[in-house]
Amino acid sequence: MNAAGSDRRNGSQLVAETLHAEMDRDPSVIVLGEDVAELGGVFGATRRLRRTYGDERVLDTPISETAFVGAAIGAAQAGLRPVVELMFVDFLGVCFDQIMNQMAKARYMSGGAVTAPLVLRSAVGCIGAAAQHSQVLSATFAHIPGLKVAFPASPGDLRGLLLTAIRDDDPVIFLEHKWLLKTRVAELPFCEDLSEPADAVPFGELRRLRDGGDVTIVAAGFMVQLALTAAEALEAEGIRAGVVDVRTLVPLDREGLVREAAAADALLVVDDDYADYGMCGEVIATVAEALGRGAPRLARHALDVPIPANRALEEAVVPSAASIAAAARGLVSASAAQVPA
Amino acid sequence: MTAIDLADAYRTMAVYRRFEEAVGAAVVTGEVHGEMHLGIGQEAIAVALRAMLEPTDAVVSTHRPHLHALALGVDPVALLAELLERSGLSGGKGGHMHLFSRDPQFMCTGIVGASAPLACGDALAQQRRDPGRVTVAVAGDGSMNQGAVFESMNLAALWRLPVVFLCEDNGYGISVRRDVATAGQLADRGTPFGIPGHACDGTDPEAVYAALGPAFERARSGDGPSVVVATCYRFRGHYEGDADTYRPKGEKDDWMSAPRDPLSRLRARLEAAGVPVVELDAADAAAEAEVAGWLEAARSVPFPDVDRVRDDVYAAPGARQGVRA
Repeated sequence: MNAAGSDRRNGSQLVAETLHAEMDRDPSVIVLGEDVAELGGVFGATRRLRRTYGDERVLDTPISETAFVGAAIGAAQAGLRPVVELMFVDFLGVCFDQIMNQMAKARYMSGGAVTAPLVLRSAVGCIGAAAQHSQVLSATFAHIPGLKVAFPASPGDLRGLLLTAIRDDDPVIFLEHKWLLKTRVAELPFCEDLSEPADAVPFGELRRLRDGGDVTIVAAGFMVQLALTAAEALEAEGIRAGVVDVRTLVPLDREGLVREAAAADALLVVDDDYADYGMCGEVIATVAEALGRGAPRLARHALDVPIPANRALEEAVVPSAASIAAAARGLVSASAAQVPA
Repeated sequence: MTAIDLADAYRTMAVYRRFEEAVGAAVVTGEVHGEMHLGIGQEAIAVALRAMLEPTDAVVSTHRPHLHALALGVDPVALLAELLERSGLSGGKGGHMHLFSRDPQFMCTGIVGASAPLACGDALAQQRRDPGRVTVAVAGDGSMNQGAVFESMNLAALWRLPVVFLCEDNGYGISVRRDVATAGQLADRGTPFGIPGHACDGTDPEAVYAALGPAFERARSGDGPSVVVATCYRFRGHYEGDADTYRPKGEKDDWMSAPRDPLSRLRARLEAAGVPVVELDAADAAAEAEVAGWLEAARSVPFPDVDRVRDDVYAAPGARQGVRA
């Protein structure tokens, strides 16, 4: 499933290359955020941009998320296409007003007269940094009308969805999973062929990365990679597990989800965001509303506590390939038990 | 800097007063069903701002925004229609705290202090494209205690943004008196960032104009932001319907007395300077007629189409419902 060959790049390099290409293509694209210019981003996703595009288009900001996220919105409304980096998504708490009340609502509140075409990139997911630096919070954004939420699962989508995000006329939250940023693309369970320049990937169109039958695992971001590993393990046990990548939480490919669900005996939704009131519930509601009693058996596997620091505690609650496989196994055996003899 | 034309200021302030009164009356008739914040008593600030603004400048205002919109030259009928819940400036979706105009470039926000970061971004976008253009971030005294404003001052100073932070200090954040909520002097709030501050009597258009002058000059010449604090008094409650029991009667009577009311005070001054009373009466009558005309025109603007309530969330309709484009 990995077509990257001997490519030694990681996800953050791909993000930087994509930003580079877009800044080259469109002079209205600017990049701003903490440590994005001199350092090139704490994950390296804005590396070497300032060298090419200078201080005017690549701006290190003070640690003032409200001010610089708000400024990105104001600049977008005035005609630029800012790509603003929120270093860790957990810092959402210090700028949520600008995102929730200004960014998301400008178009609606102006009756369509004013747009805020910007991308807010943010690193998400657990890398052993405990409760305030490991969250995903995708559903917190997705809950707010007016925001689009892209959550790439693979190197190819890091490029392709980012292109779409920058060119989109709506504000887009672009969630970059830290494992995807840090892992060499050739070492991932799944990677596209990256030899050709990236094409824009349309929002709102899920993809099936693996055919199943017994159970279909629906996920986003790095959980898709883990689900593929889990599916591999399940196959050795004789369980055919499919994997579906939703790609964008908003717009959500509801038709596609219903189609996938209709073809599956069981559907497991996996998320490293919190379980309650989140993507799992949204996917399951979509399927249940459309298929009613014809829906497959449904289950979710996601976080229900803050993320702990200690490794064993962390592993006990953050989904892994093993925990996803176990959840899928449990769902399949429960489904089998339901089938009348 | 030329002096402000006080006779013209009087005519305009009379229009502003009548405008806000008309909006207040529309709350009573039920044409406005929601919250409404009026700027009666704060007209001198808006009229001085009007004298300072160029049509290409931008203003980002607050939850009490009408007079700033008029000052920038926003279409008064579209504005009034939006306030009256018709398909006005924002198609009926924004309402009085969320007014947006592209040309001239005006916007406002109902979140206290949130206008400052937006103004910084607007200024950032314009500073290279159109040097000499100014973005005004309007704030109330209450918003000066918001982190967003401090962060924005730092950013504006660092990046020498052409921003004028204009604080309308009407003495109260809803019911909380300034001295209960605010330490130090508001005009000094920019000092740690190296931003000059100017305090002025916000009931006197000439004083406000004089304070705005160096701030606009500094911004237009690329030297960065300024803070201007204009002290005034809101004549109405925080919102229409506010019982307003928190302000002492004596205080209200004093601020709203003829010698201190910005409009009657200016009238008295013009009379003393020899402007004929008939001329001032004519200005009053003209203001009345002008606002009545706007009101009539605004009332003929259709109501928003309920079938389009889900439009304008995204560029393409249905994005949230999962409908493919």
